[in-house]
Amino acid sequence: MNDPIRPKDPLLLDHEADGIQELDNNLPRWWVWLFVLCVIYAAGYLVYYHVLNMGPLSAAEYAKESREGEALKNAAQSKFEATLSGLEPSKDPIVVAQGGKTFGTYCAPCHRADGGGLVGPNLCDDYWIHGTNFSDNLKVVINGVPEKGMLTWKGVLQPKEIYSVASYIYTLRGTKPPNPKPREDQVPASTETFE
Amino acid sequence: MNIETFKYDNRVVRAFAIATSIWAVVGMLAGLLAAVELFLPGANLNLQYITFGRLRPLHTNAVIFAFVGNGMFMGIYYSLQRLCKARMFNDTLSWINFWGWNAIIVAAAISLPLGLTTSKEYAELEWPIDIAIALVWVVFCINLFGTIWKRREKHLYVAIWFYIATAITVAILHIVNSLEVPAGAFKSYSIYAGVQDALVQWWYGHNAVAFFLTTPYLGLMYYFLPKASGRPVFSYRLSIIHFWALIFIYIWAGPHHLLYTALPDWAQSLGMAFSIMLVAPSWGGMLNGLLTLRGAWDKVRQEPMLKFMVVAVTAYGMATLEGPMLSIKSVNSLSHYTDWTIAHVHTGALGWNGFLTFSMLYWLFPRLYRTDLYSVKLANWHFWLGLLGMMFYVVPMYWSGITQGLMWKQFTPDGFLQYPNFLETVLQLIPMYRLRAVGGSLYILGVLIGCYNLYKTARQGRFEPDTEAQAPALERSGHGAESGHRWLESKAGLLSVLATVAVLIGGAVEIIPMFVIQGNVPTISSVKPYSPLEVLGRDLYIREGCVGCHSQMIRPFRSETERYGEYSKAGEFVYDHPFLWGSKRTGPDLHRIGGKYPDAWHYNHMDDPRLTSPGSIMPRYPWLLTQKLETNSLPARIAALRKVGVPYPAGYEARAQKDLEKQAATIVQNLKAGMVKAESNREIIALIAYLQRLGTDIKAGQAPKTADLAPLPQTTVSLNP
Repeated sequence: MNDPIRPKDPLLLDHEADGIQELDNNLPRWWVWLFVLCVIYAAGYLVYYHVLNMGPLSAAEYAKESREGEALKNAAQSKFEATLSGLEPSKDPIVVAQGGKTFGTYCAPCHRADGGGLVGPNLCDDYWIHGTNFSDNLKVVINGVPEKGMLTWKGVLQPKEIYSVASYIYTLRGTKPPNPKPREDQVPASTETFE
Repeated sequence: MNIETFKYDNRVVRAFAIATSIWAVVGMLAGLLAAVELFLPGANLNLQYITFGRLRPLHTNAVIFAFVGNGMFMGIYYSLQRLCKARMFNDTLSWINFWGWNAIIVAAAISLPLGLTTSKEYAELEWPIDIAIALVWVVFCINLFGTIWKRREKHLYVAIWFYIATAITVAILHIVNSLEVPAGAFKSYSIYAGVQDALVQWWYGHNAVAFFLTTPYLGLMYYFLPKASGRPVFSYRLSIIHFWALIFIYIWAGPHHLLYTALPDWAQSLGMAFSIMLVAPSWGGMLNGLLTLRGAWDKVRQEPMLKFMVVAVTAYGMATLEGPMLSIKSVNSLSHYTDWTIAHVHTGALGWNGFLTFSMLYWLFPRLYRTDLYSVKLANWHFWLGLLGMMFYVVPMYWSGITQGLMWKQFTPDGFLQYPNFLETVLQLIPMYRLRAVGGSLYILGVLIGCYNLYKTARQGRFEPDTEAQAPALERSGHGAESGHRWLESKAGLLSVLATVAVLIGGAVEIIPMFVIQGNVPTISSVKPYSPLEVLGRDLYIREGCVGCHSQMIRPFRSETERYGEYSKAGEFVYDHPFLWGSKRTGPDLHRIGGKYPDAWHYNHMDDPRLTSPGSIMPRYPWLLTQKLETNSLPARIAALRKVGVPYPAGYEARAQKDLEKQAATIVQNLKAGMVKAESNREIIALIAYLQRLGTDIKAGQAPKTADLAPLPQTTVSLNP
């Protein structure tokens, strides 16, 4: 293993294993510092959070973040709700199309993609259970109907999404999807109907 | 001086080498198919045996335990004999090690596609195979320590320290993490639940990386790199310091896989702090490798084997800097659950383990067959294809991980999620998934060329089954001229004991308090055991490998609570044997999925996810709709769960079937309301029952109880209008 050209390295240790030799180089200085600084940082971190209890842990961090975020959201939501009575369904095809997309994602699981009704009622007929005013419909989307399983979308959907999806739902009215869910007032609550 | 003549066993080394090459191809092809399924969800051809969920553990097990495992044995069996100047302790044990290990892998390759899995990552194999692993590992340990015992070299070279640490620690990790109570021949429940199971699992999982993928390979580097370059190891002192620091600190870092989960804060902080301390000890190995090459870089240019080695060691350095970085809580809050982790582990697997293994193979074949490498040119092709493949794999995964992590967290100025629909964030990643498959293909192409090259090398040479060597017998009566570490290196037993102590401390400090101090898992009184139907549904969730893509752990960030609901609490998982928190969100978190959609939605979604979620990359599960739910094992399952601590009343087995049928009938009714006609004895019913239960107990503090179900909660939240 000795290089014939160069003289024997003075750092070469006198032992070998299967021909492998080892040098007695010092630890690289920067490596030692890296190690020391990492240990200091780690120790400091543990002391700061768990001995001196100076930093907020996960739950406290979350509480703060949550408070600030909710305040923003509530402000936007209240502003929107103050305007409900004056709103008319949008005729803008872009807004309606966006509403359709939202409908497909969030409403279709219960009302079917074509609005014909599954677990939730048919949205295409003229039998509207919670009122036919546009603002009534917006309120149903916003607050839900918890006793019947309709979820609250306030805080999940943005005001403009609630507006666009409600506008889209208005366009479903009068469409004739195949095999719609029957009206609630015309069938007994029994599930026999579907057999 | 009494010179002895003896022979090194090359046969078993060759056997491991061949197995390594074969499993490399198998394991990586399984990975490639899994990668393709992420942009072509029909790529499993609707076969239940090769869905992503079942293929992923097959891929990880094949690469870690089959490819790297055989590669590790190959390198150790070759180098240990030469470093100890002794033949392996016992040839029979060598062959039990070889055939036993590879039989285990075949058992894994059969059982994992069948859905027989514990779901614990890198420990998926069911209990009979777990026992076999323990036995074969003990055989390996006996063979290792036996060889060390009859060595003719007084001092143990640094490589052997690493082998010893590997042998001891893997045995401890495997046995502690695999403690489970059987419920039938191919089913078991972890004796740990929830937070405790998570902590034990990631103590294991992290240190499987440390002591199966890292320490043995560092040992192999310390042998093959100076051998091939003909240069002395850069610093003996660095070897000593970084070895002890590495094995002591590594063990503590497991909780960094559980940052921001329901694991108590103090344990998370320990995981992060020790991960940061790990940078320097890890880099000590890289430095000692790269600096050994000083004065030999001309050789690196000519010798393909050294090229592979240099890239391997560099990849090791990159991965071990990135690992601690990902353990910083704020970085982890972005990276966790995303493809960033996938990029990280593949830097390690493809770069460090893959390239170091190929480096060893290119070194060993010409020596075992007493010839030259068949083609240096082909080896260079392998090298460049592998390197390019890694780039095409890793870069898109970073891109994908960071993109998705940022999208998940993005809020509008009004405080709403910018991308509330999870699927929207997935669709962004599809081009990256395609590129990743290109990268993987290039890498595999390189491996195939490599296998061909090795085959031709073997064909042109003549295998030497035994290599004759001579050395003086070891003088057992030592004279006290040495001191310090050099002295310790001649005391194999003491060195092993000290290594054991070093690896036990961290685990003990973290794990024991989690079991004995009640405050670590605060009780939530409304959390109840699963109903019989839900137990079977949960077992189906485990069988299908849902946990491979869906987490059940909502972290305390507003971006998660807005998307999924209340963040997960430690007390919610006390009956979860095993825990199913997951580590990757290819799909959304499911901890609060219960009650979110009607039963019919789940039914349709399982039949074809694209019916309910256009563009979804989840595979179809039509067999769940047709296969009959197996309920014969229900009493055994209830009994086993009671044994691990779930408080089912005595004799509940007898009533379980009745309760199951009752709950199934409710779900069939719910499905009817959703215009779905289903039979009550199908697997899908159980899965729906489980999904609808998930994360709901905490909300249902005052759920009504019926007399004959008590103390079990009343089935699921009904969405029936």
